Amino acid sequence: MFFIRDGELTGPELTGWTVFHAVRDPRDGSLYAASNNWVYGGVVHRSTDDGATWTRSESIDAGGQELGEVWHVEPGHPSEPETLFLGAAPGLLLRSDDSGTTFCPVDGLVSHPTREQWMAGAGGMCTHSIQIDPGSPQRMFVAISAAGAFRTDDSGATWAPMNRNVNASFMPNPYPEVGQCVHKLLLHPARPERLWQQNHCGVYRSDDSGENWERLDGNGLPSEFGFPIMLDPSNPDVAYVIPEEGSENRVTSNGRLGVYRTTDAGASWELFADGLPAPAWTVVLREASSFDDAGPVFGTQSGSVWALDGAAWQELARELPPVLSVEVR
Amino acid sequence: MATVRLPSILAREAGGQRSFETDAATLAAALRALPIADLIFDSAGLRRLVNVYVDGRDARDDLDAPLARDAEVTVVAAVAGG
Repeated sequence: MFFIRDGELTGPELTGWTVFHAVRDPRDGSLYAASNNWVYGGVVHRSTDDGATWTRSESIDAGGQELGEVWHVEPGHPSEPETLFLGAAPGLLLRSDDSGTTFCPVDGLVSHPTREQWMAGAGGMCTHSIQIDPGSPQRMFVAISAAGAFRTDDSGATWAPMNRNVNASFMPNPYPEVGQCVHKLLLHPARPERLWQQNHCGVYRSDDSGENWERLDGNGLPSEFGFPIMLDPSNPDVAYVIPEEGSENRVTSNGRLGVYRTTDAGASWELFADGLPAPAWTVVLREASSFDDAGPVFGTQSGSVWALDGAAWQELARELPPVLSVEVR
Repeated sequence: MATVRLPSILAREAGGQRSFETDAATLAAALRALPIADLIFDSAGLRRLVNVYVDGRDARDDLDAPLARDAEVTVVAAVAGG
């Protein structure tokens, strides 16, 4: 894990661990990392001193499943200050009520009646998106590749598939109840009934908390395929994606590092790439982007970190290892 | 006392301590008592890519054997690939 503070790069921390996702907990400032090691498995690391020292989760109960990689760690609602959620393979959602020391399965999702229809994507059957409604701690969304998106309105006891109108062109029935390959799902913090997803098969927006989805990639995007999506916290109509050629050619579209922006809720998209390299054939992974009040930032699998500075992108770091996760806090 | 030596990543997770003394009766008990036991065991037992040697001999399949008081235990990550 590396830090960029006031333009200065420091690190690495957690050497030897592959950090799939890291986040700063807005509730108390702690740092959490979903850390994996090919010999020692997946754990959650926590730092309460800005990354100087780390403690490791003591136990992760996978509910009878064999725990695979840990993919995403999400701080809980502010009303539950010690609660944390962990997304992991295979299709696991885990909950901690002791600030990441121990984790237990969220049985309502882990034992979901549709589970037999879930499939593994190229990265395994990963639970990679966890979004909590800021207005209601009982409402939460998860997305799993390739099981689709799910919503709970009762703190995780029951989950409903939220995949209506979302295409799964690789399935015999291209609009199944579950089995969609969501790549990243985000909720808009200021308008929590609005969700966006970059999917294996298109970009989608929902304005009714996932009940219905509208496909958005027909107007200005070079491809339906990609992983990251960035939402402007100050404007629910603004989003950024970084399309790839397609599932069989996973490099940025059109031989360049191309960010595409919409300012009309996805009705149209424009290339927004001043300062970004071309030609370029790189990859931006699903957790490798972030957007806060300072603007969007993303990192590439070839080890560069880019931030928007005014109307142009500026390279904040380069020659890093493959960038798996970017957070701005 | 027997001694257990750890590879560097496990030593970092153990607070920087690379070597532990133990009077455990068995190899399994010595390993279970380590502060990084959760990293070398999973629900099925010793993780697939973790090897353990006692006085230079592979002891992966002999975890319940008595541990001699002067034994040297070494935990090693299996090397796969090149």
